[in-house]
Amino acid sequence: MFNKKEEFTSNNEIETVIGPSVNVEGDFVAEGDVIVEGKVSGTLKTDNHLRVGQSASITANVTAGSAIIAGEVNGDLKIRGSLELSNTAVILGDIRANTISVASGAVISGKCAVGSQEGAKAKSEKPASEKPAKDKILKPKEWKLAQNENEQA
Amino acid sequence: MYLYLYDSFLNDNKHYKTLSRIEMRLTDLGIGGKISRLSPLKNIKELISDEIRFGVKTIVAVGNDETVSKTINNIANYTDITFGIIPIGPNQKIAEALGIAPEEAACDILSARKIEKLDLGRVNNTYFISGVNIEAESQIRIEFENSYQIMSEANTCQINIRNLRPAFSSGIGPKYFNPRDGVLEALIEPIKGVSRSFFRKKTPSRTSVIPFKKISVLSKKSVTVRTDGQKILKPPVDIEVVPNKLSVIVGRKNVYF
Repeated sequence: MFNKKEEFTSNNEIETVIGPSVNVEGDFVAEGDVIVEGKVSGTLKTDNHLRVGQSASITANVTAGSAIIAGEVNGDLKIRGSLELSNTAVILGDIRANTISVASGAVISGKCAVGSQEGAKAKSEKPASEKPAKDKILKPKEWKLAQNENEQA
Repeated sequence: MYLYLYDSFLNDNKHYKTLSRIEMRLTDLGIGGKISRLSPLKNIKELISDEIRFGVKTIVAVGNDETVSKTINNIANYTDITFGIIPIGPNQKIAEALGIAPEEAACDILSARKIEKLDLGRVNNTYFISGVNIEAESQIRIEFENSYQIMSEANTCQINIRNLRPAFSSGIGPKYFNPRDGVLEALIEPIKGVSRSFFRKKTPSRTSVIPFKKISVLSKKSVTVRTDGQKILKPPVDIEVVPNKLSVIVGRKNVYF
């Protein structure tokens, strides 16, 4: 997981920072990376990276490209890429992510679906050769012949 | 054709020699023009509109940030005007951010004519180039683009809306505060209170940085909004970015381009 010293040091890539003194309510949609250390309620969406600090409290459904979570999330998480939960993370909701990494001590209360949706679909669809052959529909003539064969037998 | 607007504080005798040197340098460079001295009795709006009618294409504010702010508000609505700055005296944050050297050196920058189209901010009907500072006496609510809102208690944080990079932004990455990116940045900083107890828990002090195009500031009581050093307005206050609004002559050694 990530150390406290390393936490939030690379500011060059960051677009939006919600600091600890800030309380956001509503549909928060960001185009770039997002760091949350304060409170968010409503919905939280970003196409890029999301980082939730240890002091953060999110009461919202979250959609992000990738995420590292060390705080509390009360809502469903939908992460297209990788999701990393640190030992202080508390997730009260369902998780869907492509890959997941959970540190010991993290709390998850909800369903957890990991893996790409395309992969899951491919696995669920069996190849055509393995499919059971459908019962052949007999034409009336064939049906009579079959009946005769059965009587002779 | 150039128009040089001298701020009223330059009427002081101590600036006489500096102004003489600047005027000589402008003549040497072949960019001399009409000089107009501002005063409380002169209407800057009428002055500028008259000069533009007579063919002025470049307007230069000679003075400090307040001179720049006054001038910008009166030329922002003209599309084919280029704006320049000759900084004299203290309070030169805008000129510094745009890489414009003070006094005579600014004449060479004007002559080089490196022109950039910059975003401006607008608070209700007042334009600003660097930023605004918001101080609230009671609880304040900021609505961002009608989709989400931020609540802040009175006297707990300081809110700065920035277009140009502020001097105190050492910890904030270079991606922010670009006056050509079509967004403004809201900086929300908690105010560090005086600790009453030695063992009092440390308050977190990370600055929030939220890029936006339009916000509304709402408060039950009055809100003081300072644009580029000028004090104005009562709530509700609408703040928005106006992209590529002003052509500005900038220095080569600026932090943006």
